Amino acid sequence: MKNKKNKKNLTNVGFIPAMLVLLLIVMVVGTAIGAVNVPFFDTFKIILKNIGILKHATFAEGQEPIIFLVRFPRVLVAALAGTALASSGAVMQGMFRNPMADPGLLGISSGSGLGAVLAIKLGLTAASMYFMPLFAFTGAFIAIFVIYLLSYQKGKVPVLTLMLSGIAVSTFIGAITNIILTLSYDYQVKEFLFWSTGGLDGRRWEHVQLVMVPIILSVILMFVFSRDLNVLMLGEEEAKSVGLSSGKIRTVLLVLVSIATASAVCVSGAISFVGLIVPHIMRILVGPNYKKLLPASSIGGAIFLVACDLVSRVVAIPYEIGVGIITALVGAPYFLYLLLRSKKEGGTVI
Amino acid sequence: MENIIEIQNLNYEINNKKILDNICLKVKEGELVGLIGPNGAGKTTLLKCLNGIYKAEGTVKVNGLMINQMSNKSLAEKVALMHQNTQIGFPFPAREVVLMGRYPYLKRMQRESKEDYKIARKNMEYTDTEKLEDCAINEMSGGERQRVLFAKTLTQETDIILLDEPTASLDITYQEQIFKYSRELSEQGKTVLAAIHDLKIAAKYCTRLVLMNDGQIVADGSPEEVLTSLNLSQVYGVNALVYKNRITGLLDIYIHKVNEKNKSVRFHVIGGGGTAGSVLRQLYEQGYYISAGVFFQGDSDIASAEVFGIDYLMEKPFSSISDELFNDNLAYIKNSHTTILCNMPLGLQNIRNLEAAEQAEKLVIIEDDLPETRDFTGGKATGIYNRLKRKAVAVINSSRLHEVL
Repeated sequence: MKNKKNKKNLTNVGFIPAMLVLLLIVMVVGTAIGAVNVPFFDTFKIILKNIGILKHATFAEGQEPIIFLVRFPRVLVAALAGTALASSGAVMQGMFRNPMADPGLLGISSGSGLGAVLAIKLGLTAASMYFMPLFAFTGAFIAIFVIYLLSYQKGKVPVLTLMLSGIAVSTFIGAITNIILTLSYDYQVKEFLFWSTGGLDGRRWEHVQLVMVPIILSVILMFVFSRDLNVLMLGEEEAKSVGLSSGKIRTVLLVLVSIATASAVCVSGAISFVGLIVPHIMRILVGPNYKKLLPASSIGGAIFLVACDLVSRVVAIPYEIGVGIITALVGAPYFLYLLLRSKKEGGTVI
Repeated sequence: MENIIEIQNLNYEINNKKILDNICLKVKEGELVGLIGPNGAGKTTLLKCLNGIYKAEGTVKVNGLMINQMSNKSLAEKVALMHQNTQIGFPFPAREVVLMGRYPYLKRMQRESKEDYKIARKNMEYTDTEKLEDCAINEMSGGERQRVLFAKTLTQETDIILLDEPTASLDITYQEQIFKYSRELSEQGKTVLAAIHDLKIAAKYCTRLVLMNDGQIVADGSPEEVLTSLNLSQVYGVNALVYKNRITGLLDIYIHKVNEKNKSVRFHVIGGGGTAGSVLRQLYEQGYYISAGVFFQGDSDIASAEVFGIDYLMEKPFSSISDELFNDNLAYIKNSHTTILCNMPLGLQNIRNLEAAEQAEKLVIIEDDLPETRDFTGGKATGIYNRLKRKAVAVINSSRLHEVL
């Protein structure tokens, strides 16, 4: 009995470092492979050289800019967006006590879309690149807040109501977005389309700079609320009985989720299902305790999106398939599988 | 002892419907109070108001402090509530659920200390759940989950413990267990307030009962004071008889419906040695007017007659039936439409009961055992008994009594 327990703890201790190593490998592979393949080791050395760790190394002509100015920032953006979406998904699933909650399903993506369109339409994106994330965040927060208020009934958030009001609010926001687009100039529409297709092509260091701080900060702050999330999973009244101020904590968490998701949406467009399936797989691997689940989901999200981005680039060379399409291709069947399984188990999921 | 809980003029309504109506209640330290009453009486709501989940009008004081002026965490250090039927949809191991009881004591980034683990482990041992510590809470049986949640409630280490229907889903073994724990806790000085469905368990374990109905407190006091036939009949809308069970020495409750049509029909029951009890009950349920006798002091048939409010005749123990009682018995028999002779032992002391039965207009004999096997008069009683048998309108097994009623 004792031995078994020790062994279990050991795997748990080693799990996060193992995931970090895996993330590093995926990132190097993701950077190395493309229309021009660069050997993995060289790729690693180029990255190290350009961030100032390795000196006096020379590489074939043209490799350095491709790796460090084109591919590496793109991979970083994918990793950051994946982290943000998966952590947000995990947090929302705890807040709503439901494994089906996901930033995309709950109108956050459409809300930040509207915010972004407004920023473009008002010409603010030209003034400063920070306006778009700011507007996107505001839109995301308003959307999720409205949906939350609409579905809140006597201390509970019934999932069916939540999903239905999510769909209704998202559709409504989508309509407003379309009206604004109809009244916009061509170049503004193009700017929006480039932004909204859910792709990572053309992401540069400026995008990394734009979202790195808000994403890393909001995800770390989510970690701080691990215990609160655990207690919230027992239910609203159980949580209150052990002294948790659920109103305050829910608001803080909604803000964090909105910041993380809106930042991700700003640089990658609306990418679906990452926030749903990554926490789900991690819950199977490390259990439901947020102290482990959140770190695991944040790293897992990065691995997942970097890998999906890699697939999207290489599966149909010379064409590139939007990364959102790949995540949807993987995510939708998984989502259906969850639905079917929950039906079999007597509908505990919905 | 001082009042650890003080509730004054507590009102709570939902959609203009009063759920709690001017509740006033004081609870002393170390009491084990059972909240009883029908569904919808407001028991759960009252517990949730004590715990700050519902914000009600009026004052609730814990340790002399108004709870609405306390922070959620400091209230959770004083009062813990075990909810009814908590469903947890995620596979948390039992140990982690129990540790969540330490939430009020931990700062946001603070890790659980050795001490926290020790407290959790102690309570898991106490509730016999330490073997379940690695099991997922959503895969347990209702009883196991309830015991884990009880351990979590205890891990909160509060002076006041509120239990909302703690035994609703438990096997009888653990039903009693949780109340035994509660009793121990109250003896250690903790105050326990439990909403309880099962009136017999409430009477057995609680030092005090509070009977609620329609959001009001109807009765408050010791189990004997609160669980009266009158109170139960009024609150639950049934005919309830409360009596002391002679076998267990505990309060017992008998709930029934009385047939109102048969009031004018009179029955007389001759029994003894505990053979008349179930006959009396069946006649009582039919709503007949009943008399009984002659019983000897100390017979359990007398207790039955008293529970059902039946007129009966009683002779001193170990003596023969006096002339006076014999004549009274005859008078009852002659006044009755039907006389029932129970499957009683026949001895020299009660042989005059048989003689009296000979005067019955309509006699029904209940015979489960042959008279020879229960004749302790050397054949004399069997002789009279066989004469009675020829005269009787029916001689039946006790299980078929309802057919002649």
